[in-house]
Amino acid sequence: MLRSIWNRRSFMGRTAIGAGAVIGGSTAIELLSTTRVWAAAEGTDGDILNFALTLEYIEATFYERGNAASLITDAHEKDIFATIQKDEEAHVQALTDTLNKLGVAPVAKPTITFPASTFASRDSYLKLAMIFENTGVGAYLGQAGSITNKDILQAAAGIFGVEARHAALIGVISGATPEGGIYKGATETPIAKSDVLAAVMPFIGGMPNTGFAPAQRSVNYLPAGLAIGGAAAALVAFRTRGSRTPPP
Amino acid sequence: MNQDPFEGRSVIQFTSERDRRAFLKYAALVGVGGSLVGALPISNVFAASPSPSPSGSPSPSASSAPSGSPSAAGSGTSQFGAGDIGILNYALTLEYLESEFYQKGLAANILGDDAKYITPVAAHEAAHVAALTATLNKLGATPATKPTFVFPPTTFTDKATFLKSAVIFEETGVKAYHGQVVLIKDVAILGAAASIAGVESRHAAVLNYLTQMPPVANPVEQHATADEILAAIKPFLGA
Repeated sequence: MLRSIWNRRSFMGRTAIGAGAVIGGSTAIELLSTTRVWAAAEGTDGDILNFALTLEYIEATFYERGNAASLITDAHEKDIFATIQKDEEAHVQALTDTLNKLGVAPVAKPTITFPASTFASRDSYLKLAMIFENTGVGAYLGQAGSITNKDILQAAAGIFGVEARHAALIGVISGATPEGGIYKGATETPIAKSDVLAAVMPFIGGMPNTGFAPAQRSVNYLPAGLAIGGAAAALVAFRTRGSRTPPP
Repeated sequence: MNQDPFEGRSVIQFTSERDRRAFLKYAALVGVGGSLVGALPISNVFAASPSPSPSGSPSPSASSAPSGSPSAAGSGTSQFGAGDIGILNYALTLEYLESEFYQKGLAANILGDDAKYITPVAAHEAAHVAALTATLNKLGATPATKPTFVFPPTTFTDKATFLKSAVIFEETGVKAYHGQVVLIKDVAILGAAASIAGVESRHAAVLNYLTQMPPVANPVEQHATADEILAAIKPFLGA
């Protein structure tokens, strides 16, 4: 069986290469050695769209509140953040419309809460923005192999690419390291749905009728970007609280 | 019909206004810059896209590819091989172009502080070339050979021209990958291609940022057919 490119270790390997080392053939071969994420469909297209819609609700709300807090003052940067907010709102609308077209009920917007410190400073806002965008990129990529309808695949891929743009831009605005911050290596890394849900669950506590139960298992994998400040603390707290299996 | 859940209210459709504005802004820049028009004939890809619907018939502009485009043995990606092999070789050809472009750009030493943003991009494109080549070998296919590329002489003489060219190459790459997403048969190849496409989107965003262009012209990425893309890059293909 071909080795997975989607595991953490090979991703780290590619990141190192992205940093400027000579490209070895053996690394390159990993590109299509996929088995992991595409192995099992993670629900119907409707399920996937509702999963995406939940993420987009969170992102849209995040930027609505963050932009309203006027933490970004540079005109160019402000313009970019306004665009990102509009994009996320457009994604919510598009996903909702699509679900309706499919005859699948769109999930209700959950109650969304962010840690009190999130909108206290430009720094905290940027940090969480980076996390949401990179999580969104991995989340969409993780579903690419499960989508059956071609139009939905085209659209989801189109949204995925825009989330990658957002992630890079916020990286630039944050002054992040180019490789490892703005860019995440030569290829994007998918994140499994269960891991994404575990990561975002702290922000949608008490969500009624969304169809999403808290994660059923502890999560050992989190995207690198999640290990940042208060958000990480929130995630850890969630994992302790929300996990129904004993900690390892 | 379930085949087209988007029908009139396409995810793509609502993006047109901003896309149009972005294009107009781009066009204005080209107009002011003058030399950019000659330097970057690839810009016609902007006029040729986006296709109105993800499931729509091929854009009429596809058939207007100049004669002598590398489609002697077929059109679209099939000239590079059947099915996914053709798509991978098509992608490889584009990555060859991007990779050489960045290698030359870095070698020209014109980027100053912005080199820190471009150095990883060059490494990514080289990695894409290596990965696609290795993948084709692994699949038992013959990787496309690297064409001889020609760039307008001004491309590497100043930073502004180089970065503007880079924007166009990246936007073209994004459109190219997204144009193949629904055509790829093998789910592993789809995943790999998507994982590259996302990186091209990051590049495009950063380069637009550096050149004060709208870094996210649409809420969803646009796509273009292989014929559109190949017509656009034709001027860079040497004899």
